[in-house]
Amino acid sequence: MLEFDGLHKSYGDNHVLEGVGFTVAPGSMFGFCGSNGAGKTTTMRIAMGLARADAGEVRWRGRPLDEEARRRIGYMPEERGLYPKMRVGEQLAYFARLHGMDAAAAARAAEEWSGRLGLAERRGDPVEKLSLGNQQRVQLAAALVSRPEVLILDEPFSGLDPVGVDALAEALLEQCRAGVPVVFSSHQLDLVERLCDSVGILARGRMVATGTVEELRRRESGRVLRVVVPDAGPGWAAALPGVRVVSEQAGDTLLELAGGTDDQQVLAAALRTGRVTHFGWREATLVELFREAVADPARQVAAREEVAA
Amino acid sequence: MSAPLSSGQLVRLVAAREISTRIRDRTFIASSVLMIVLILGVLVFQVVVNSGEDTSRVGVVGDPGQVGAALEAQGEALDLDVVVVRFDTDDEARAAVETEDVDGALVGGAADPELVVRDPDTTLEAVVSGAVGAVALGDALAQAGIDPSDLPQVTVTALDGDSEADTQRTVVAVVGIVVLYSLLILFAQFVAQGVVEEKSSRVVELLLATMRPWQLLAGKILGLGVLGLGQIAVIAAIGIGGALAFDVVDLPGELVGTVLWLLFWFVLGYALFASLFAVAASLVSRQEDLGSVLTPASLVLVAGFIVAIQAASDPTGTLAVVTSYVPGLSPMVMPVRQAAGDVALWEVGVAVVLMLVAIALVIRLGGRVYSGALLRTSGKTKLREALRAGEV
Repeated sequence: MLEFDGLHKSYGDNHVLEGVGFTVAPGSMFGFCGSNGAGKTTTMRIAMGLARADAGEVRWRGRPLDEEARRRIGYMPEERGLYPKMRVGEQLAYFARLHGMDAAAAARAAEEWSGRLGLAERRGDPVEKLSLGNQQRVQLAAALVSRPEVLILDEPFSGLDPVGVDALAEALLEQCRAGVPVVFSSHQLDLVERLCDSVGILARGRMVATGTVEELRRRESGRVLRVVVPDAGPGWAAALPGVRVVSEQAGDTLLELAGGTDDQQVLAAALRTGRVTHFGWREATLVELFREAVADPARQVAAREEVAA
Repeated sequence: MSAPLSSGQLVRLVAAREISTRIRDRTFIASSVLMIVLILGVLVFQVVVNSGEDTSRVGVVGDPGQVGAALEAQGEALDLDVVVVRFDTDDEARAAVETEDVDGALVGGAADPELVVRDPDTTLEAVVSGAVGAVALGDALAQAGIDPSDLPQVTVTALDGDSEADTQRTVVAVVGIVVLYSLLILFAQFVAQGVVEEKSSRVVELLLATMRPWQLLAGKILGLGVLGLGQIAVIAAIGIGGALAFDVVDLPGELVGTVLWLLFWFVLGYALFASLFAVAASLVSRQEDLGSVLTPASLVLVAGFIVAIQAASDPTGTLAVVTSYVPGLSPMVMPVRQAAGDVALWEVGVAVVLMLVAIALVIRLGGRVYSGALLRTSGKTKLREALRAGEV
């Protein structure tokens, strides 16, 4: 198990992390979501020993990560970085050696990974001569080349074209199947939804939701009701008790029902406006779950009061 | 598959990368070639200047005897090596001058001496006429019954015994200081550029995920240091070898001593300036900003160089003596003083100890600044912030 446990970090008065914790099982992929500046990068940097946590620790197989354990982690920083003038093959071999491989094994691994990621013909080229997409592949190869036990990737998909995304996704799934726990952060929530076994949403330095996408959905599900009433006037549902209007557009209405509200009363109210062409519970997408989770609670309450008034 | 890495192994890996990258770097190759050309140029220049007082071959008809000895003695007095070549007849001697086998020939016997030369040569003329005159004078004195050794002789007493040797060592030291200064600037600059390159390309974050900042810094400085020492050693070997081969210097032992001291001071100077430059460079994230942060350390280096050149002409002056103890200046001033003589071993010892203390301080404080500033890849980091953020 890869465990992030109660991480706290502040820079001066700025409390970046306030008790971030989650667990990633071997062979599972964990999607780490959160708005910009939520603290994802700081969390990953703490795991890699690049920042010190004020409190809390990161454990792998029950033991706090130390330098030796970190050498067995493949890492891709948010700020991509390679030696621009160093050749692809040499660069990969160098990183493999820094992770503890001997010279021969490092050379083999560099050749293997440059081949697997479609860089075979660019091995002898300096990195700065490569296209951005190919540089990104080298970056991934640098994270994978030492056969890491754990992968921690900060925004690995950003800047990739759809083909690159698929190739990277395939490479990560393969690592997962081999039993490697993978943690990656991303703003592309559809990708997270597609790839990840579990998801963590970070907001204001705290984990506001963790679990499988299914679990998150179940927790939220049953609450958003889509009703299409073409003949209804605007604001037709605003006065219903226990109902919040999420959106309303030409009769296509999304409603959030408080616990215990009878959906049949909503249907009755809808029928009173005229024709009802659609009435059903809607599966929330991760994007909606995310919006819901990261919304500022204070503002959310205010919004509800506004709607209720 | 992966084995634990010791600090030593990590430092070696970093150093090996620095060396293999630099050795293929165009700036490095160009600077190496330039240095070697410069040293060879100095040697060739010396040889050309010295060749002005080359040997002259003078033909003499018949048994040279007294004339031959007198020619060589006169030549020595006028700083001209004279080789006496014997011919049997005047015609043979003239022919040899025609074919440039000899520079001049003395024909016509003792009664009617004549110097035959292709082009007029006043030095040769003076030597020959002096020699002929001396022989004639000796003969006349002998006939008159006077022994030439009864005439008063001038005795020479040198007050500044080994001034020529000192001058020569000082010249070697000054040439050495120019090389040392250039290499210090060059390699400290390489270290600084390397640090900024890692920051600006952000590769430093990937590196620091596998090692500690001091290991990265140590590997970088050691790797480039080995390369720098190698380069200065090659230059020194070419310089000494060439100087001996072309006979530019007379005192090989002294020369080697001075050069070894220069190598020693290079190591100390490099350790200090490379660390200073690396620490300064870690504060910025773009090559363009490098100049401004390197200025203070560079000024110390330039000041040391200027003082050292000045010290060559006045090695016992107060300025030279005082600055030869100041860490940062001492690597350039002390070798000049040592070459000029008059430096007690304890004085060198004090300068070395002060230098070592300075290096230890820079590495300790600088290492902290370096580790605090490395991951701040936006803009310029303030020294105090870096100190606070750094690992103790």
